[in-house]
Amino acid sequence: MATATTVPGRWGGLSRLFHWGMLGLFLVIVPLGLYMADLPLSKQKLKLYALHKSIGLTLLALAALRLLWRSTQRRPSLPPMPAWQERAASATHVALYALMFLVPLAGWLFNSAAGFPLQWFGQVNLPALVDANPALKSLAREAHELGAWTLVAFVALHAAAALKHHFIDRDRTLALMTPGVKAPGTGVDP
Amino acid sequence: MNTRHPSPALLLFVGVLGLSACPTLYAADAPAYVPVAAQSSLSFSGTQQGERFTGVFRDFDARIAYAPDQLPGSHIDVTIRLKSLDSKSQDRDSALAGADWFDFAKFPTATFHAATIRISSAGPVGDADLTIKGKTKRISFPFTWKNDSGKNVLDARVTLDRLDFGVGAGEWADESVAGRKVDVVVHLVLASAPAAAAPAATAGKPAAAPAAAPKH
Ligand code: HEM
Ligand code: HEM
Repeated sequence: MATATTVPGRWGGLSRLFHWGMLGLFLVIVPLGLYMADLPLSKQKLKLYALHKSIGLTLLALAALRLLWRSTQRRPSLPPMPAWQERAASATHVALYALMFLVPLAGWLFNSAAGFPLQWFGQVNLPALVDANPALKSLAREAHELGAWTLVAFVALHAAAALKHHFIDRDRTLALMTPGVKAPGTGVDP
Repeated sequence: MNTRHPSPALLLFVGVLGLSACPTLYAADAPAYVPVAAQSSLSFSGTQQGERFTGVFRDFDARIAYAPDQLPGSHIDVTIRLKSLDSKSQDRDSALAGADWFDFAKFPTATFHAATIRISSAGPVGDADLTIKGKTKRISFPFTWKNDSGKNVLDARVTLDRLDFGVGAGEWADESVAGRKVDVVVHLVLASAPAAAAPAATAGKPAAAPAAAPKH
């Protein structure tokens, strides 16, 4: 994931839009997933499932676009920090990118193995990845759930690290990604 | 309101007339057949969230008495054991079993009785009473009757409105989740029914299928 060259300055507008826009959708889709699964069968339940899947497919498409866009960008250089922190940060980013694909794909697989229809916001129907298959269905369901929790854990770690850099180390890490946030102490944009 | 009682003679006359007009009592039955389980199917297809799905009922009995030149003695009787439904999704199957849909617990079977079969310009048509979930509706059942390498084959396709039978009632009645129109496709490969009054063979249980029943 590490790009050979880094540039001064912060992440560009589109990168920031992807980053925070996707966070917004994750904040909707995860609670929705947890809430809907325990409901008794009703039309409302199916509607919430449909919404969850639609947002999930949107996130999958955004992850692909985001990665594509990222490959055209150079990464802003991080403020000075211990090497292990930089390594931990990039390892976390790799994990986050991987999960951005794996979680919705496992959801799609689960849906396919369950033999359920898949529609994006009631507009387009997407094909099943596999034929209905009860054994694969429970496996994919476990993978989707475990993947979602792993994603939540990595996001928590990642966000905690970003906030630690901002409030404790008082460096410009958070400002790299966040519009309107300036590097602490300096009062200037990175 | 007419308070005069009709004379006994008139009653008798009407009764005899009624009996003689009743084909199943007096007309000689047309040759009878039962489906060969392994080659026959009763399937349906509907739409859910914009996607078409198909399902089958694996367990049904059918007895078909039919000959184009013996229409008064022709009839079709089918009993479908609903819990043999398989729509290739456990979730959908268990939803369809519930009270809002087929309500298997209360209505374990659906029945189809075509007591009259006539010949229309397009071919044979049964006038059938279809009962699903305790609701009976008269439907017309056009079918084709072919002889395929020595076996008679009945094929039919009818489109039903699930709401006629209260299947998917209540909050499911509108089409936002499931479409109302359901196509039913019947494909029966027939063998002569075992001699008189034997119970119709059970489709879907090959072991119980009649082994080369004698021709009469
Ligand atoms: C990045 C995107 C996604 C995230 C973060 C996510 C997250 C979650 C979470 C946290 C749950 C609750 C887990 C449980 O208790 O079982 C869940 C359930 C579910 N998700 Fe997703 N999901 C995503 C995408 C998708 C997609 C794309 C689909 C389908 C195409 C999908 C289908 C489902 C289904 C069907 C359930 C219900 C599981 C059940 O009935 O037990 N998800 N999701
Ligand atoms: C409150 C939540 C979050 C905070 C405070 C936060 C903060 C940050 C900051 C400050 C950066 C810049 C670090 C750098 O340039 O190395 C960053 C980058 C990144 N963030 Fe977040 N983030 C949050 C949520 C998320 C979420 C939900 C995801 C994805 C699921 C995510 C994925 C990433 C990735 C992959 C990068 C690296 C940039 C890239 O390679 O595209 N972040 N985040």
